[in-house]
Amino acid sequence: MYRYDQIDQTLVDERVAQFRDQTRRFLAGELSEDEFRPLRLRNGLYIQRHAPMLRISIPYGLLSTVQLRKLAHIARTYDHGYAHFTTRQNVQYNWPALERVPDILAELATVQMHAIQTSGNSIRNITADPLAGVAPDELIDPRPYCELIRQWVALNPEFSYLPRKFKIALTASPADRAALEIHDVGVRLKRGPQGDIGFEILAGGGLGRTPILAKPIRAFLPQGDLLAYLEAILRVYNRYGRRDNIHKARIKILVRSLGVEEFTRQVEQEFEASREFGPHLSQQEVARMSAFFVPPPYQTLPDTVPPIGGRSTGDPGYDAWLRYNTRGHKMPGYRIVYVSLKKHGEPPGDITAEQMEAVAQLADRVSFGMLRVTHDQNLVLPDVPQRELLAVWRELERLGLAMPNIGTLTDLICCPGLDFCSLANAGSIGVAKQIQARFDDMDYLYDLGPIEIKMSGCMNACGHHHIGHIGILGVDKHGKEWYQITIGGSSTSPAALGEVIGPSVPKEQVAETIERLIEVYLREREADDERFLDVVRRLGVEPFQERVYETNHIPA
Amino acid sequence: MRQIIFRREPVEDTARYPGEEAEPGTRPVLTSSQFLAAASAGELAGGGAAVLIGPTDELASLAPHLALLSLIVVDFPKLGDGRGFSQARMLRQRYFYSGELRARGVLKRDQMFFLARCGFDSFDLDPNEDLRAAIAALDTFSVAYQEGSETVIQLQRRAPAA
Repeated sequence: MYRYDQIDQTLVDERVAQFRDQTRRFLAGELSEDEFRPLRLRNGLYIQRHAPMLRISIPYGLLSTVQLRKLAHIARTYDHGYAHFTTRQNVQYNWPALERVPDILAELATVQMHAIQTSGNSIRNITADPLAGVAPDELIDPRPYCELIRQWVALNPEFSYLPRKFKIALTASPADRAALEIHDVGVRLKRGPQGDIGFEILAGGGLGRTPILAKPIRAFLPQGDLLAYLEAILRVYNRYGRRDNIHKARIKILVRSLGVEEFTRQVEQEFEASREFGPHLSQQEVARMSAFFVPPPYQTLPDTVPPIGGRSTGDPGYDAWLRYNTRGHKMPGYRIVYVSLKKHGEPPGDITAEQMEAVAQLADRVSFGMLRVTHDQNLVLPDVPQRELLAVWRELERLGLAMPNIGTLTDLICCPGLDFCSLANAGSIGVAKQIQARFDDMDYLYDLGPIEIKMSGCMNACGHHHIGHIGILGVDKHGKEWYQITIGGSSTSPAALGEVIGPSVPKEQVAETIERLIEVYLREREADDERFLDVVRRLGVEPFQERVYETNHIPA
Repeated sequence: MRQIIFRREPVEDTARYPGEEAEPGTRPVLTSSQFLAAASAGELAGGGAAVLIGPTDELASLAPHLALLSLIVVDFPKLGDGRGFSQARMLRQRYFYSGELRARGVLKRDQMFFLARCGFDSFDLDPNEDLRAAIAALDTFSVAYQEGSETVIQLQRRAPAA
């Protein structure tokens, strides 16, 4: 993990002092609400339905137990005793008092954390594969590049007032657990013909009102040019992205209106014109950064877990947990463990202060004091020795964090919705509970195979509904909550945007609608391993539409 | 009389923007089209001209004539419009403009640090802003990660890895 030196620490400390003064000026009436808004947003502070909401950056999802304990302390001291992990590997508090936010930021700075650029029209937290560095299918560890980009992005003076928010994601694995194609810029690590490290660059993706998948604009960018090329993209966007209409201001609209070829030409031209002055990434810089991400002191251990799906351990609960909530590790004798924040009946992504502290204790004991935050709103213990798995399961069970549903229908992701967010049309959390209650039979759930449900309370698509195998979008109809259902979306390569199945359905019938989609899937699948998504791709939406709307059970 | 910040000092401004009345002892600031026409006609051979550019003005047309200019005013017409940051950075970094570079518009102390880092050394802020506080805000941060074009602040950066 990256560790701050005096430069990094000074920067976050000075940022706290700056925001403390800005807050003071606002409270004293020296700054208007309009003047304060862009300043507070650049520190992750929204004014929400009940109270401000503070979003804290967890760079590329890496979290130490020292930091997690601090998050628990903040939840208890400044909030209502819990926190919410988001779809962008960040963490949010829903009840802080505005006057105390500078104190929260000061506490965070003591554990090398901040809220810089977690909102506003700026470059947001860098996201990455949550299994970076431990996944068996990884080509190169992306984390040193994530940190190099994080530093280049932090308080970048030229790109702090962009037309709109800007999100960058990295992955180095064919499975693409970072959903590159829905980002403003996606960076895929790869090796060139001589084995040299470089990047494929994608640009122009994003969800929201106008979902568009990112397109490749550079097949292979040499390592040394990474930051200069990002600078060229950002400069073209900063100068030519639309500023007259907030809904048309993302880079995806610029790429679409210019056409990907013309956009690429402009970026390449800017890159050529400025490369000799732009930031160059030296091999020495990469080496220095890579030294922060050396593997922890793994022991030489035998594999002791029976092959998943094979011999039973004798305890069906443990079997299910092993199968669904753990993953293979690049090191023999170790496994990756998901800490499920999707217990049925609880808001997805929420965790209490007590749970955070207990998970920190567990990670100290069995995972080198490190954790990951996933964009599916779960936590991960990345380096668990297999001989500890039974004890880890028991402890997570005790904590209510062992719901064996990772990758299943009830591992759904959702935004905070009407319960907290002032933008939302819909109570996403209530709908999540309705779905979890309907699909509470675990054997049935397992029979359905991997299904991703993603739900957003409004068009802003924080819950990434467009790329859910089943997407649920809250819409307001005459002051009532209705839900538009899409099917066939996917976040992993090849990513796809879901198709709307028909008129939206009332809140009470969301779970029923999903049940009907599942019925069609079970009827039509040709093999047990043909996933819901595969069936939708094979048959299209029609058979699903027919079943959902076949009776007037669901009024149009 | 308009007060601006030049380098790190509050000073009375002698520049008169397009549309403002010129008095003895003041210097006119041309619009970019006025400037380009005058420069092409050879009317500015003595140098020392001043121009006001807006967010959509292209720098490439200005670039051949930069030697004629000793003041470029970059307009920030709206809160949150950040195009002027890129214009300043390009003027300093790519076109080697070394004269006075002024940010003018809807700006307060909260933007001073970023403005200075992009190469501005002259600041015509919101008329209600406290200039002493704005000058102090240049030193909000003492460190930076990125290379910049700053001339009015000094920053500590990490030494390149050897």
